[in-house]
Amino acid sequence: MTQTLDAGGRFSQFDSTRATGAPTSTTQMGEKFGTFAVTFGIAFTLGYTVFEALNWPLFTYMPAVGRTYFWLHRPLSGEGPPMYWYGWIVTSAINAFVIGAIATIVPGHWLRRAAVFFCVLAALWPAALAALRIYIVGWATFDADFLNSVWVPAGPALVGAAVITYYVPSRWVERLWTSWLLLVPIGGLGVLGYSLLQQWFLR
Amino acid sequence: MAIIFSVIREDTFWKILLSVHFMLALVLLAALTLQVVTALMPARQVAGGFVDRGPIPAASYATLIVVVYLVEALFGAWIYIKYRTYVRIPMEELRHWWTVGGFDFKEHTISMGVGLLPAYWYFWQQPASTEHAGVRKWLTVFLALGVWYGLIIGHVANYFRGVGS
Repeated sequence: MTQTLDAGGRFSQFDSTRATGAPTSTTQMGEKFGTFAVTFGIAFTLGYTVFEALNWPLFTYMPAVGRTYFWLHRPLSGEGPPMYWYGWIVTSAINAFVIGAIATIVPGHWLRRAAVFFCVLAALWPAALAALRIYIVGWATFDADFLNSVWVPAGPALVGAAVITYYVPSRWVERLWTSWLLLVPIGGLGVLGYSLLQQWFLR
Repeated sequence: MAIIFSVIREDTFWKILLSVHFMLALVLLAALTLQVVTALMPARQVAGGFVDRGPIPAASYATLIVVVYLVEALFGAWIYIKYRTYVRIPMEELRHWWTVGGFDFKEHTISMGVGLLPAYWYFWQQPASTEHAGVRKWLTVFLALGVWYGLIIGHVANYFRGVGS
């Protein structure tokens, strides 16, 4: 199929209007939707990984008895197996929709920095927790079980993410913006796959 | 569900649902694979103001993929009820851990794909633009790999015990 360069005519129009500093309402709508779509993709995949890893479903469905419970419900005797998957998806979708909507009113450079902060935080927090658990099991010379909490590494992870976000050059922040759409789901699948590895594949 | 089962036998209903799910998966797989192939092919400058991009599907093609993907995910979510109660329990009892784990991973892969659909659709609205060519291409590859994996592991699970059997 042969296309003229005008096939991307809408894009050319966007560029010219942007260059003259007179964006049309259609252009603004398109840009806003683009911001929403990218933010939604990053927030959904990041949220899904976190909600699954922490098992935070919005609701639990019990298919054998046809009952639905709000939030996490451990099955009672005779209720059959629980289904959390629907709950994780709905939680992730609501979370991503709200964040995506907020993103459309936040200045672009702040939004891109915020994406760096949350993605780095999402990597640092579990890494710090894993390091802490290795320390507790293999290295601690005292009863360090009180340190075994997801909230203990939160502080260092937040500080680390803030420092990294502050020092990342603007050029990288811009380049990373759409790359998060691939880095986050691939990283998320790595995390979720690793938990499945321990749960099922190495059994 | 009781209304449906008063009209049609339960096992027949689930068989129909699974068949529709399978056929939609094939349609989605073909569409996404074609799009991946065209997205991975480099554009060639032919003459003057013309660019030969190969059979690059139009923006409406991406819309079709989004719609089929969502419908397919909804069918999968519906059948999942039967899988959870009727297929997975014997799967665990017979210690088919790899199939259980593989199917769990399918849930995650398809869920991630659902989250990426708005961005995928947005970037395919300007298929000729080079500005977001990279992310457009790799998003399509990600979705296609997810659907390929979903079809294969779904077939493995169905081979173990189809929901209508």
